[in-house]
Amino acid sequence: MVALAPPGEETLIHSRRTLFWLLTPAVALLLLTTTYPLVYALANSFRYWVLSRPGQERWVGFENYTRAFGDSDFLNSLLVSVNYTALAVVFAVSLGLGIALLLQKASRLHTFVKVLLIFPFAVSPALKGFSFRFMLDSHSGVFDAIADVIVRSVGWVLTLGGLVHYPAFQIGGLEAGRLTLLPALKFPVTADTIWLADGFWALFWMAMSEVWGWAPLFALMFLGALGSIDTDIFNAARIDGATSGRIFWHITLPLLRPVILIVTLLKIISSLRMFDQVVTMTGGGPGRATETINHLIYQVGFGRGLDMGYASAMAYILVVALSLFAFLYVRVLFRRA
Amino acid sequence: MTVTRARTPAMTGRPRPRLRWGNLMDTFASLLVVVFVLLPIFWLTLTAFKGQRDAFSLRLFFEPTLANFRTIFSDTYRAGDMLVDSLVVSSITILITLPVAIVAAYAFSRFRFRGSDLLLVWVLATQFLPPVVVLLPFYNLFRRPFGWLPESWLDVSFFDNLSRFTLLDTYAALIILNLSFTLPYAIWLLKGFVDALPGELEEAAYVDGSTTFGVLRHITFPLILPGIIVSAAFAFISTWNEFIFALVVGGQRVTTVQVGLNLMNSATGVIWGQMSAVGVLIMVPLIALSFLIRRHFVSGITSGAVK
Repeated sequence: MVALAPPGEETLIHSRRTLFWLLTPAVALLLLTTTYPLVYALANSFRYWVLSRPGQERWVGFENYTRAFGDSDFLNSLLVSVNYTALAVVFAVSLGLGIALLLQKASRLHTFVKVLLIFPFAVSPALKGFSFRFMLDSHSGVFDAIADVIVRSVGWVLTLGGLVHYPAFQIGGLEAGRLTLLPALKFPVTADTIWLADGFWALFWMAMSEVWGWAPLFALMFLGALGSIDTDIFNAARIDGATSGRIFWHITLPLLRPVILIVTLLKIISSLRMFDQVVTMTGGGPGRATETINHLIYQVGFGRGLDMGYASAMAYILVVALSLFAFLYVRVLFRRA
Repeated sequence: MTVTRARTPAMTGRPRPRLRWGNLMDTFASLLVVVFVLLPIFWLTLTAFKGQRDAFSLRLFFEPTLANFRTIFSDTYRAGDMLVDSLVVSSITILITLPVAIVAAYAFSRFRFRGSDLLLVWVLATQFLPPVVVLLPFYNLFRRPFGWLPESWLDVSFFDNLSRFTLLDTYAALIILNLSFTLPYAIWLLKGFVDALPGELEEAAYVDGSTTFGVLRHITFPLILPGIIVSAAFAFISTWNEFIFALVVGGQRVTTVQVGLNLMNSATGVIWGQMSAVGVLIMVPLIALSFLIRRHFVSGITSGAVK
């Protein structure tokens, strides 16, 4: 017999058999869909198994693993994934925090903006990739047009303020619909930057496509956490003469720390699994500048060679890295529950 | 960031210009957020209704046309079939996920047994596996009959005869793969809803001689119905958005909308008008659903339901 411990103090008696029937379907399905592939992939990672070369399968020990750590493609994909994760996490969390702090104060406009924050959620990852690729297009990209407008307005305002003579901004040659910035400004963009043809910018924009989707959702999470903080704390601090900066550093940020931790871990996990936008936005290019681990494994396993053994070994290296973060995350979640 | 100093009536005689400047900045920043959030969606929707000639122009005003939608629903692209495939895969996945997750969530919430925490950790952690790890073994399992047996155990000619009995490109294959990520967070989400219920009602029913399944059906189920709807919505969204499984396992007979989107990425470049039209088809049900589950976003994100 198993003792039932409901939220109340009373305990009821259930039979073991009931418990068994309640849990068996879920456990059986999860064994099939997650644990079985995990075990099977581990076994495959020690085998030479290329589908296009039937009849040559054999056990090779750690050969696939040693091959991975000597493979420049794999090491490159590790670096790409780490860089991408850093970009995505830093931008998504800080932007989410910024939006939350902005919308924290109750006003009609803020309520309206908060409703809009869920819209990016409606865009699937694959669609995010295409949508950003379209907006970054070198001929008709809307980003370049907007940047152009901004540069023009800044030039106009500066001229108005008598700080510079506007024609100075035309040295770079501002043409309609095309972003051309002054080389003298040392902005990292030059006149002819085709965003996705440049290694750094391709990775950057891929991260931004993900930041665009997640920052508003994180802002919603932060707003939820901020809403549960008693406003008396802020009022008391202000009456004591604390500046907004100090209130942020010493009150808001410490109170938000648990949520920030959860959100950061979650974003790290999802960034290490990045795949969809690589396919729809860059295809891993230019060169291998945006080839994440997942995309490389996909290419090796299903694309070029159908090399199941090697792909499984690389996938397992990723599993080890991911399970570290996954367990940290689950622990944090349990402590909260 | 924009926290202005508190101005109790005693402190402020009249509004100072600095406060108005702060309000202006606040409004400007809020509008910037609006532009940031809506721009990609707005631009995509606009492009979907543009004609061939306007697709590459930046014009905001143009003659709207349904030509792109007509093209994608024609026999060349068959967007209608894609929608059906996506709907079938999503709905069957949900129909399997929910009953299994409800009873498991009830067990996790109401029973304490040896290893119950460990089992729950396992359930929750499995969804964070990289999808390729799930895909590599299942691809081989689906590829041929008896895929779970090593290739060398069976005669090669045996496979030649049976090669058409493959699970690749079937609904079943995609549904099995989707279950690997919908089940964990559905269990966790629903467990939260059961946890929030007071135990007294159930106890009263048990005292009256009801069985566990009777209690589940007549008491717990109606009370956690909102949670069930939320879990169903999240399951729909994540299976609707799923890409890598559908890309590798599907593609010929079973083509989901996400893979259909990728079909617009031809060798000669992306066909932006049609891509945008498929994009609009993808977004419409999701926008509707996200308003339905607005209040549950936070739990959806923490449980891993939002990808």
